[in-house]
Amino acid sequence: MNALIGRLLLQRLVAAIATLWFVATAVFIITNLLPGDVAQELLGQSATPDAVAGLRKALGLDVPPFERYLSWLGHLAMGDPGKSLVNGMPVATLIGSRLGNSLLLAGITALVAVPIALLLGITAAVARGSLYDRIVGAGTILVVSVPEFLVASVAVLIFAVHLKWVPALSQLGRINGVWDVIRVFALPVFTLTCVIVAQMARMTRAALIDALSSSYVEMAILKGASRSRIILQHALPNAIGPIANAIAFSLSFLLGGVIIVETIFNYPGIAKLMVDGVATRDLPLVQACAMLFCGAYLILVTAADIAAIVANPRLRHQ
Amino acid sequence: MTKLESNTSAQLSWETLSLRERERLMAATGQGASRRDMLGLLGALGIGASFGGTLIGAATTAHAQTPKKGGKIRVAGFGSSTADTLDPAKQSYSTDYCRCTMFYNGLTELDDTMNPKLALAESIESDKATVWTIKLKKGVQFHNGKELTSEDVVFSLKRHHDPATGSKAKALADLMKEIVATGTHEVKITLSGPNADFPVVLGTYHFLIAQAGTTDFSKGIGTGPFKCKEFTPGVRSIAVKNENYWKQGAGPYVDEIEFFGIPDVGARVNALLAGDVHMIGNVNPASAKNILGTKGFAILETKSGNYTDLVMRADSAPGNNPDFVLGMKYLMNREQIKRNAFQGYAEIANDHPVPPLNRYFAADIPQRKFDPEKAKFHLNKAGALSSTLPVVTSPAATGSVEMGLLLQQAAQGIGMKIDLKQVPADGYWSNYWMKVPVGYGNINPRPTADILFSLFFASTAAWNESAWKNDKFDQLMIAARAETDETKRKQMYTDMQVLIHETSGIGVPVFISGLDAHSEKLKGLRPMGTGSMMGYSFGEHVWLDA
Amino acid sequence: MSAAARLTRWIAPAIVLFWLAMAFIGPLISPYDPAVIQDADLFEAMSRAYWLGTDYFGRDMLSRIIAGTRYTVGIALVATMISVGSGLLLGLAASAIGGVFDMALSRFLDALISIPSKMFGLVVVAAFGSSMPVLILTLGIIYLPGCYRIVRSVAVNVAALDFVTVARARGEGTFYVMLREILPNMIGPVLADFGLRFIYVVLLLSSLSFLGLGVQPPEADWGSLVRENIGGLPYGAPAVIFPALAIASLTISVNLTIDGFFGPQERGH
Repeated sequence: MNALIGRLLLQRLVAAIATLWFVATAVFIITNLLPGDVAQELLGQSATPDAVAGLRKALGLDVPPFERYLSWLGHLAMGDPGKSLVNGMPVATLIGSRLGNSLLLAGITALVAVPIALLLGITAAVARGSLYDRIVGAGTILVVSVPEFLVASVAVLIFAVHLKWVPALSQLGRINGVWDVIRVFALPVFTLTCVIVAQMARMTRAALIDALSSSYVEMAILKGASRSRIILQHALPNAIGPIANAIAFSLSFLLGGVIIVETIFNYPGIAKLMVDGVATRDLPLVQACAMLFCGAYLILVTAADIAAIVANPRLRHQ
Repeated sequence: MTKLESNTSAQLSWETLSLRERERLMAATGQGASRRDMLGLLGALGIGASFGGTLIGAATTAHAQTPKKGGKIRVAGFGSSTADTLDPAKQSYSTDYCRCTMFYNGLTELDDTMNPKLALAESIESDKATVWTIKLKKGVQFHNGKELTSEDVVFSLKRHHDPATGSKAKALADLMKEIVATGTHEVKITLSGPNADFPVVLGTYHFLIAQAGTTDFSKGIGTGPFKCKEFTPGVRSIAVKNENYWKQGAGPYVDEIEFFGIPDVGARVNALLAGDVHMIGNVNPASAKNILGTKGFAILETKSGNYTDLVMRADSAPGNNPDFVLGMKYLMNREQIKRNAFQGYAEIANDHPVPPLNRYFAADIPQRKFDPEKAKFHLNKAGALSSTLPVVTSPAATGSVEMGLLLQQAAQGIGMKIDLKQVPADGYWSNYWMKVPVGYGNINPRPTADILFSLFFASTAAWNESAWKNDKFDQLMIAARAETDETKRKQMYTDMQVLIHETSGIGVPVFISGLDAHSEKLKGLRPMGTGSMMGYSFGEHVWLDA
Repeated sequence: MSAAARLTRWIAPAIVLFWLAMAFIGPLISPYDPAVIQDADLFEAMSRAYWLGTDYFGRDMLSRIIAGTRYTVGIALVATMISVGSGLLLGLAASAIGGVFDMALSRFLDALISIPSKMFGLVVVAAFGSSMPVLILTLGIIYLPGCYRIVRSVAVNVAALDFVTVARARGEGTFYVMLREILPNMIGPVLADFGLRFIYVVLLLSSLSFLGLGVQPPEADWGSLVRENIGGLPYGAPAVIFPALAIASLTISVNLTIDGFFGPQERGH
């Protein structure tokens, strides 16, 4: 099994490097196509031709794009994403100050959403065809169909503005103790849970039902094993693959796809950092963020594949 | 010889009054003294009537309360990004102004009606408004303990000339031909030409004074009322009271200000109503209605010189036809713009950029009104009725999308077709503004008519929005800078406003009020002519009534 | 099947058809010009004159929602066609040609998936400006890889089935096999996928609009209508509630319609 995982990891590593290089190049090209550059954005109305030219020279933007690409790629390969063109701070510092926040939000949301999704999915699969199953099915459709900005706006209005149970903003600077953590994270976590729980729950249910209809599970039923034993011991391990995949996908969403939640709750995460970067044409920052999202996605998908191999008896014994 | 020193009557302001004088004033206004009594009292104190007007306003809201000290407040501005800066030269948004006024001071500062007052300068004297000698106050300390000297002033002013600084005020700074230290506490500045308004220029945000040799501005080391405890661009700043502040007998009152940006206006309003913050900047008119309807919250309306204007370029068709320009000016329904686009939070303007609160405002120019008949006559004469007119709008120019819609409707009424092209805010100023034949611009308030004129209306100005060239205007503008006789100067400014009103290619329909909202627990706020949030210098003035 | 169950079964498709029809005939039945400011208050409540009230600027809300249908449904429909159409083509081609082509294409599209969809949309729309073609293409490209994956995996499975092997044994060419044997067997999954993609596109378009990058004023899709009028939310203005309801009614109905016709859709492949 170790050899299998080793080979898979090696394959993935090679593919990942190729993918990252491809994304890096694509991002570099697209970001360089953005109309206007950092000098114009920084100067705004004050962008007279000589002021722009002076600032461009100071920022090293007068170098031809291909040379900039090579030097950027070279530094990136050595782990240095460069300096922000806007405020001169190292991009690594800027990202570092936000990444922790994003991971925290993603982690707490995962802690809440994944168990709920698994529970809903498993129970729905067990009670397949029942009223409960149908309610879960309809409920998840309902939740996934409502735009997240609406869920968030209405939640703020009710729980923060009217009831004043929780703050309208999720500010980390004001946390003293566990109770504050709950109050600060309640609304964003609730919103994000609504977004990701449906997909995971429905996938879990489908994968389990798929596994339950396979021949060896039918065999176990014939042998008279108990229902919970069948599900937990026989069906679930076989369903881990797709479930882990769904979870990996949701988690990668939690890192980069939460821009609306960050906007509404004014949460200082990485998505807003990237949007700022786009608005101010801070190319090194935008590029580094894109690479980060891409890398995180690749790691998560690989982790899901490994989980599938480890959990699946058939693959395990190959 | 012009001289600006404290205690001359023109420069007298609230902060320079003695405590007894203040009490007398407050008592008089608080106890319902008649306006005549009040003016008499002000006269006795040597304060001009125009200043009295603002003071009366302040007294009725503050109602004789003495500021309380202490407390921590949280304030949310509207823009915040990684571009946030504590570098005075680079400030671009109100968020930056709010922060920098907490940490730094200028040589002068502007009062309620935008008159300059001495700040770090002890005295300012000029020779023919061209060579300026500035003496600095002694014993003023930076937050790190170093004493303010002329070296710091020379450094802070000279930086603007270097393009690598990326200064937003380079155009204004280029006015200063030579900046030299003539003593440890004396600086001599030679201008490229006479400018009687130079003390006002020195009081604007970009000319705040930092310490000589500073390369890392993120520490916010200045001489201001607050010290910077924490600053993360795009996240927040925490300012703590400077116990060692050189100004005596006034603010700062609060111990700590946490300041951050909430770009989304809905989120900003929610944060205020939920009690997360004490004050928010830049509320839209629709939300103002909601806030006014909620107990415990108030709106701070600041009448300002901010305007969004219809720009018709004179260097291309159709803006090169005077009849077209005049017709379009008659086609703007100013009342409707005020009501629908700004929900009443605006003042009707008269196609020139000087707002009523400016001392050189020409009140006598007849108001141009919405007149479809005249519009039709002129537009027909210009041959504009037969073709479709493209007009560019963008969220970047506040209210221009709505103003464009209203213009389109008015045009429909006279049988003219307007094709509205809305473009994104991103890149608007670089790619569309002043490049399209007919579009919108948005001009922030400037403290003097001269700055407005030289930046946006002089024939050679880089931002001459409508490519308007008028020799008579240029001559008047230069002459007015050197004119020290107030009556003559006022006449010159009136003539210039008439020229813009009649012949330039910009249509200014309204001046837009700044709207901020705050909890009623936060006191000491009053509208200031210099801009919203008390000219973005609320930090020094507010206090908490817990 | 009970009468009630039959009714619920048809409600969802009826709502979908309603919105589709509205996208086409909307302008004919719109009570007012959606861009014209009425002689009404701002955020007016529902009334006989203005059935769904007025917006933040005094325009008739019903007319604006009707006009918005064309943008939301239209953009989403075309974008979905692009992503499903090209996903179908590329997926089939990959499974038929195989080898390096298959691998290169799969890796390339994997790379595309790894960038969060909203971020991708934000950057591209910021780069090229928010025009209809840019929005449609961006949304179409974002969901292409997902569709490609499904088509490819289904195609690979179908290709391994006996009847395809028989056809190949008969000596039929690759394209004949693809068109006559593989394609007809994937209509179901592809149609179901079409519905799901459509929902994703509607939601993503609404999100982009909410962030101010969608259809630009004075025109507005439903997401932009929510954004424009969000200031009316605290006092429950119909101007913000109804466009939101329109979005939800469309996405929920499409979801339920797919489930009704194809059974619950999951992505187990």
